[in-house]
Amino acid sequence: MKSVRITRQPISPARVLASVGGKEAGGAVMFVGTIRRRSGGKTVEGLTYEVYREMAERKMREIEEKVRRKWPVLKIAMVHRYGHLKVGEVSVAVAVSSEHRAEAFEACRFAIDAIKGTLPMWKKERFKGGARAWVKGTPIEA
Amino acid sequence: MIVKVLYFASAQGLANLKSESVRLKEGSSMKDMAAEMLRLHPDLKSIERTIRYSVNFEIADSDVTLHDGDEVAVLPPVAGG
Repeated sequence: MKSVRITRQPISPARVLASVGGKEAGGAVMFVGTIRRRSGGKTVEGLTYEVYREMAERKMREIEEKVRRKWPVLKIAMVHRYGHLKVGEVSVAVAVSSEHRAEAFEACRFAIDAIKGTLPMWKKERFKGGARAWVKGTPIEA
Repeated sequence: MIVKVLYFASAQGLANLKSESVRLKEGSSMKDMAAEMLRLHPDLKSIERTIRYSVNFEIADSDVTLHDGDEVAVLPPVAGG
């Protein structure tokens, strides 16, 4: 499994977690993002993610490099899904293994925050009743 | 010179296209490209202040000089994760 990946296929958190395993690791931390039913007081049926794929993959590799400069992590895996997703499905998974837990927690937190802030991705919510709207978002960070 | 411009999310809806080739004067900056884009697609003025741009996959300020064949992307506020 490639360590960073943008995919249309459903994400298996178990496989992402297994991909960072190894005998040197003292542990692994994983963040799994899922599609929430409630948004701004409305009921969501699903989301459609759009991505500028080539730039997003480059940004994910940059995030991995930044993590490796800051923490002595062993393996890192980041997978983000795009296309149509239903409520409850996994949109993103980040897993980090390290010798000791502190750096794995910090690195995982840093990576998911960087994914949210720097990846060129957008999501359109599909509400109950059929209305659709782009999620407002935040200006992309350099 | 000609640059390739990609439109995403709400910008794609307002411009009503995914990508196009835009002809600019030699030595044009990102700011010149943005002005030409708004001339071609006036509806984008409604989100102009929230847009950021990338050139060849890197976020670019308005004073960046463009070159023939560059890939410029029009990036509304993002919402990954």
